[in-house]
Amino acid sequence: MNTDVTTNDFEGSQNVEMVRTEQLVKRFGDNIVLNGIDFHVKRGQAVVVIGPSGSGKTTLLRCLNHLEKIDDGRIYIDGQLVGYREEKGRLVEDSEANIARLRSQIGFVFQRFNLFAHKTALENIIEAPIHVLRQPKDQVVERARVLLDKVGLADKEDAYPHRLSGGQQQRVAIARALAMNPKLMLFDEATSALDPELVGEVLKVMRQLAEEGMTMVAVTHEMGFARDVADHVVFMDKAQIVEQGPPEQIFGECENERTRNFLSRVL
Amino acid sequence: MFRWDQVWYYLFQDPNLYFLQAAWITLWISVVAQAIGIVLGFILALMRTSKYVFLVWPARAYLWFFRGSPLLVQVLLLWAGLPKIFPNALLPAWACILVAFSLNEGAYMSEIIRAALGSVDPGQMEAAKALGMRNNLAMRRIVIPQAMRVIIPPLGNEFNNMLKTTSIATVIGVEELTGTARDFGSQNFTIFELLIVATIYYLVLTTIWEFVQRWIENRFDPDRANVAIAAAQEKSTMKRLTGLGAQTAR
Ligand SMILES: Nc1ncnc2c1ncn2[C@@H]1O[C@H](COP(=O)(O)OP(=O)(O)OP(=O)(O)O)[C@@H](O)[C@H]1O
Ligand SMILES: [Mg+2]
Repeated sequence: MNTDVTTNDFEGSQNVEMVRTEQLVKRFGDNIVLNGIDFHVKRGQAVVVIGPSGSGKTTLLRCLNHLEKIDDGRIYIDGQLVGYREEKGRLVEDSEANIARLRSQIGFVFQRFNLFAHKTALENIIEAPIHVLRQPKDQVVERARVLLDKVGLADKEDAYPHRLSGGQQQRVAIARALAMNPKLMLFDEATSALDPELVGEVLKVMRQLAEEGMTMVAVTHEMGFARDVADHVVFMDKAQIVEQGPPEQIFGECENERTRNFLSRVL
Repeated sequence: MFRWDQVWYYLFQDPNLYFLQAAWITLWISVVAQAIGIVLGFILALMRTSKYVFLVWPARAYLWFFRGSPLLVQVLLLWAGLPKIFPNALLPAWACILVAFSLNEGAYMSEIIRAALGSVDPGQMEAAKALGMRNNLAMRRIVIPQAMRVIIPPLGNEFNNMLKTTSIATVIGVEELTGTARDFGSQNFTIFELLIVATIYYLVLTTIWEFVQRWIENRFDPDRANVAIAAAQEKSTMKRLTGLGAQTAR
């Protein structure tokens, strides 16, 4: 278990838990998509979520930064209640400003990249630090160049998204999220929209982040990545967490029937 | 007989520059009405896509009226009706035209803007929100600039129409191009000649606008990507029209 806190965060030692959900419930109409999820991520951990299509993995991630409203339960990020505040024992949706502030601390990487189409790679990265965090432009640009270099795209800063390959776009998207100095990164199948030969370059960046101690949750179908990089693997099926544990356990001698079935299909 | 000299005179020799002045009136009424129409269009489009019923319905009613009745009738309604409602208000003819045209244009622009906003990939808004942008900021920095690229071509059409539709202003006595041609022409039986002068001015205005529009379109196009696409399309249209190279093309 990774309880030693390596971040230089002041509150770091007070709260080793970065994400905690309690009996999280999410419905779309009559369809229960998350049915009482207790999901925990410790500071510095890389958690990989696997599971068959439609099991609720994307929805779980989207709830974590309140891109989806929840129907019951609680979500805490770094000890803070997400998306709601308590008033007389009831949950009331939080103000737009508070929700935005929370999201600015959480990086989200989409399956379909979602780079701003009218902005160059560099402009994509500097947009939110300048206009959300109100940091001085020259500082932001300098850091953006460092990040572009880090994801291996130092020479692409002036390229518009449609001139970049999928893998390059996704790496810019990761750099864009990192530019906000997030305390948590969420990856929703960051590689599944990519041609097979481009998957590796994105996984490499994600692996490096995990090694640097970034707290992250990655939904992925890349079992090799899950096995090598994850500190903790969560298997979801039919709106529930069916099994979780260190990768050796999940990929080795998992006892659950459904997990074994799923793994035998994907491995 | 046809009085070429009259055409020539009013185009090039008129010391009072009547038609140039009239063209100026046509132009500025068009520009101001279009500008107000764009602003109104944005407000109406945002109202119509709002989640609040008390914003959606007034906007719908507005569109229903302004798109459902003729502009000429709207102008006349305003011209005849305002003095009845406000007996002391002296609304000059040009102001009446400006109000009617702006209100009418707002309705049409709102449809264009709504469609353009809807054409922006929802993923763009999601990404903006995920980065901590609030709705207004995301609209201003991310969604609207991308919608602009979709708005500009039909906006060009709207303004081209506006330049020509201002001729309606003549019915309540605004001395724009058409009115000027009619008034001078009926004095000395040269209405046909002077309508030709007016037509030439209209053509000059719309042609200049076409160039301006092309320039604006290029400006809103990062990387000039669509220029290449547009050029390719133009070429294929030419091929289709002329039937040349249809078989050999790629
Ligand atoms: N916006 C929505 N409206 C209605 N139903 C939705 C919506 N988003 C997701 N769902 C439903 O919720 C369920 C879980 O979807 P989710 O996208 O979370 O699954 P997933 O585990 O990410 O699947 P995949 O591996 O295919 O991405 C599915 O049944 C889906 O149809
Ligand atoms: Mg998914």
